[in-house]
Amino acid sequence: MSHDVDMRVRIGSLELRNPVMTASGTFGSGREYADFVDLALLGAVVTKGVGLEPWPGNPAPRIAETDSGMLNSIGLQNPGVEAFCAADLAWLRTQDVPVVVNVIGHTVAEYAAVAARLSREDGVDALEVNISCPNVDEGGMAFGTSCAAAAEVTRAVREVTTLPVIVKLSPNVGEIAPIARAVTDEGADAVSLINTLLGMAIDTRTFRTVLARGVGGLSGPAIKPVALRMVWEVASAVAVPIIGMGGIMTGEDAAEFMLAGASAVAVGTANFVDPTATTKVADGLRRFCAERGIAAVRELTGAART
Amino acid sequence: MSCAQDMTPRRCLERVSLMANERVAEGVGLAVFAAPGVARDIRSGQFVHLRIAEGASFILRRPFSVHRAAGDRIEVLYQVLGVGTRALSLAERGAEMDLIGPLGTGWSIPEGVAHALLVCGGLGAAPLGMLAEELAGRGVAVSVAQGAPTAERLVARELFSAAARRHEIATDDGSAGQRGFVTLRSEALMDADAPDVVYTCGPEPMQRIVAAQAARRGIACQVSLERLMACGVGACLSCVVSTVHGQRRACVDGPVFDAAEILWDRDESPEHEG
Repeated sequence: MSHDVDMRVRIGSLELRNPVMTASGTFGSGREYADFVDLALLGAVVTKGVGLEPWPGNPAPRIAETDSGMLNSIGLQNPGVEAFCAADLAWLRTQDVPVVVNVIGHTVAEYAAVAARLSREDGVDALEVNISCPNVDEGGMAFGTSCAAAAEVTRAVREVTTLPVIVKLSPNVGEIAPIARAVTDEGADAVSLINTLLGMAIDTRTFRTVLARGVGGLSGPAIKPVALRMVWEVASAVAVPIIGMGGIMTGEDAAEFMLAGASAVAVGTANFVDPTATTKVADGLRRFCAERGIAAVRELTGAART
Repeated sequence: MSCAQDMTPRRCLERVSLMANERVAEGVGLAVFAAPGVARDIRSGQFVHLRIAEGASFILRRPFSVHRAAGDRIEVLYQVLGVGTRALSLAERGAEMDLIGPLGTGWSIPEGVAHALLVCGGLGAAPLGMLAEELAGRGVAVSVAQGAPTAERLVARELFSAAARRHEIATDDGSAGQRGFVTLRSEALMDADAPDVVYTCGPEPMQRIVAAQAARRGIACQVSLERLMACGVGACLSCVVSTVHGQRRACVDGPVFDAAEILWDRDESPEHEG
């Protein structure tokens, strides 16, 4: 490498040492991967979704492998915000990495209560408001597919926290740009996208759906073109930073998302394929810039658009 | 290799090479890997999470019990069921892959065990191989009840015969051992030998019956459960098992569980994997 690349990026008031974050639900609270990844090498850890009370999740089978991807219907299983603070957050505080907590709720009031609770804790650097999980009947994606509901959740969280608020958007909409505008109009500091695409797999031996719940969220390399298109559309619609994700496996994939308009990226399903995927993506992105004489990775953001 | 030296359990991402790969029963292969790190640290009942091919249209790893470990090698028994295990069956000596391991909570051997009964159905023999040898090595009297649809689908027969004081076989068609379900043999052996502990792996309905047989006799029973799995390290919550303590993860809390904890009716076990 001929010269060092400045890998720092900003998401609102949050400064990251590099653009590579983890995608919620694919990295636990970071501890599960600590045997494999030095968390200090990541831009941020984004935790699994945290609700007000424990959520049991969906019946198994909860996953199905599909061509170049997978379906999941975990259903936001989590131990609730008190247990999260006592165990997961307490551990994360000992790690040298920014922490973004993914916030879920069955109701607008629950989102606000979790956000308020987390805002009283040390060691939370930002909140990611999950209005896009396709695997629950109440809450989740129901809030992310209408502008009014997305705005209402964002407003309720904004009112109770001074932390940076990232809203995670659903791809399961006709047009994503109006949703992005609705949440930024209510004070979202950034948007992250995409969550998983609603899908299904059928077992031809049993004549049943593979997933116990029937439907699940599609992730992995199969969805990358859809995700890139949506990042591009949102970058055209809003001025806030975008965290791009959907099938990122390599540094070059991450560069594509930044070129489409993302300021940072998240690695999700790739963690299951290779537990060291996050640091490999970060290394690959640095190399991508170095090989092209790009001094700062943030120069990539939106460069395909001009 | 990427791994932490001071963590317990110590899990590594290890580059491995295939030393042998052969068909050992109808639809069943035995793969031998040079995997020094895992071979050194693995305990009976634990598993490895194998990435069979890179750049393939199937992206997920496949979890496999380690059947035996010796020197720097591990043995994996696999049934050819899907795109992943088909690719594994076609891999040749010298093929490079990577795996994560050792993973999960394996069998536990209670203090003072004098007599153990192992009950396996089909490929449920896989995680019991290391255990049978370990028990025999410690001087524990081992009985094995082994079932399979036919004689051609029995695996690890020689290993169990060598390690066990009694080795009874049941096949659906009577082509080996007695005709009928292995659960008839397990019940007879529980009564004949009065084992201190029962270990079982195989189709979940079979394990459930074995667990009930042990419970009726007040014998401790450990089961090894199979679930569809993505991460293998406790993060994704795909592989949950319903227990009296709530949802537990087969990849970290299991795959071996105390049978008394399992809520058998709550989950659908996978029809197939691989």
